[in-house]
Amino acid sequence: MVSSERSSNQLIKQIGQRFSRRGWLLAFFLLDLLIIYGIFNNDKLIDAWNFVIRGIGVTIQITIWAFVFALIIGLITAFGRISKNVLIYNVATFYVEIFRGLPLLVIILIFAFVVTPAIVDWIAQSPFDDVVQVIFGANPETISTTALRTRDIDSVWRIMLAFALTYGAFMSEVFRAGIESIGHGQMEAARSLGMTYVQAMRFIILPQAVRNVLPALANNFVFLLKDTSLASVVAVPEISQLTRQYSSNNFRYPEGLLVLSFIYANLTIVLSTIANYLEISLQAEKREG
Amino acid sequence: MDKSPIISMKNISKTFGGFVQALRNVSLDVYAGEVVVIIGPSGSGKSTLLRCINHLETADTGEIWVDGIHLTHKSTDINKIRAEVGMVFQQFNLFPHKTALENVMLAQQVVRKRDRSEAERVARIQLEKVGIPEKADVYPAKLSGGQQQRVAIARALAMNPKIMLFDEPTSALDPEMIKEVLDVMLDLAKEGMTMVVVTHEMGFARAAADRVVFMDEGRKIEETTPVALFENPEHERLKLFLSKIL
Ligand SMILES: Nc1ncnc2c1ncn2[C@@H]1O[C@H](COP(=O)(O)OP(=O)(O)O)[C@@H](O)[C@H]1O
Ligand SMILES: [Mg+2]
Repeated sequence: MVSSERSSNQLIKQIGQRFSRRGWLLAFFLLDLLIIYGIFNNDKLIDAWNFVIRGIGVTIQITIWAFVFALIIGLITAFGRISKNVLIYNVATFYVEIFRGLPLLVIILIFAFVVTPAIVDWIAQSPFDDVVQVIFGANPETISTTALRTRDIDSVWRIMLAFALTYGAFMSEVFRAGIESIGHGQMEAARSLGMTYVQAMRFIILPQAVRNVLPALANNFVFLLKDTSLASVVAVPEISQLTRQYSSNNFRYPEGLLVLSFIYANLTIVLSTIANYLEISLQAEKREG
Repeated sequence: MDKSPIISMKNISKTFGGFVQALRNVSLDVYAGEVVVIIGPSGSGKSTLLRCINHLETADTGEIWVDGIHLTHKSTDINKIRAEVGMVFQQFNLFPHKTALENVMLAQQVVRKRDRSEAERVARIQLEKVGIPEKADVYPAKLSGGQQQRVAIARALAMNPKIMLFDEPTSALDPEMIKEVLDVMLDLAKEGMTMVVVTHEMGFARAAADRVVFMDEGRKIEETTPVALFENPEHERLKLFLSKIL
């Protein structure tokens, strides 16, 4: 009797310890419920929600596509950054420093107003003009009489490169640190067995490096998701842009911004929790081996 | 012996960072089936010499021939030679994200192009040989140092190398685990494997070595049989060194 009482006390203590540091999450959850209740019962909030949520597809599209491209660009650049080839190293470093050095907002403006129009002009005069027009939804029967224009390009794709290249630069440093965190002995052991540099990277170094940087990559995903709000300055119809539109049209800033914050916070907190969980389970794995 | 040596190093010199002379004009021949033990104080160039044999380090000057192939020649496919030369490191360097079995299988598949079942068959034979078949599915972090080093030996042997290099294979081990690794190495020597071993285990040198090479400050100071080494060491430096480790 006594012992079972003690063990149940211990259990309560354990649960208490576990959840005492989760108070913020509970508070967040309660606030969430309150806002959901509000959205369903307050006409202005319903109105704002219905207007803003139409942009969620664009927000998610930019985030996921830019992240995929950034992963590829980041990995390739990381190899440039650890390359012994002086030219490759300097090209990769130049790119990383430039894109980390400029504010993302400035990069977005440059791409929206300078780079993308320039690329479009170039394509319009090139043999690919017709193909690209069809890809962006032009009528195949009229393409021979028209040339590609910037406004034919879906707004998401007009600024995609800005996000992909900026986050590619950040993530190349994540990958580089991950690769460099793997002891030199691993590469030597692989090479001494007759593996080429590429084989050693692929089978030995990268699998370990990528595992180590998974939490950092997940965090970058969260940052990227939040940064897509900057696309609103160049009229990309994602949730922040729609909120600005809705609020200024109806003078309902509190409603619009509450709904917008509600959407971002729910997305990012779910993702951050996943990232934290990844980190904790990786650490536990390392300890146990 | 009048056959040509399987490893032939002629006048090897190696400098690190412009001023650390790791090797000074070292020559060494090793014949097939021989066990050569290299001893010498820390920093005397033992590891560098060993690592030149499979080209983990590139010699600045001199020539190296391994199994009839000119190593210091630019057009030589270095990976091909490395597959013939197994290496065992002081720090084991097992692949932590792979089980013992996978550690032993991987290079067979990737380098030797053996299919999965053949690689697994060979890997199990090698793990059996080093005495830990029951640890096949265990990850390195769950193995003791001695067990890890034996997996590392199995991993190298699975490639069917003609030569095995050991760089202080027992120096990172707790005393009670040294024997289990040395026993595996002694078996290997008995089977006639060509071995170059950097070690301070004089018991191993006495039992298995055909020759012992003493190095100091990047130079090969003395090259002799184990019996002669212990009974009448020639050089003062060697006497001093032996008095410290014996
Ligand atoms: N990668 C390296 N870079 C710079 N110096 C090195 C490197 N490897 C070895 N050395 C130096 O070369 C000398 C010989 O080293 P090493 O061959 O490791 O000696 P040993 O194995 O006999 O202890 C030492 O002075 C060491 O500091
Ligand atoms: Mg050494």
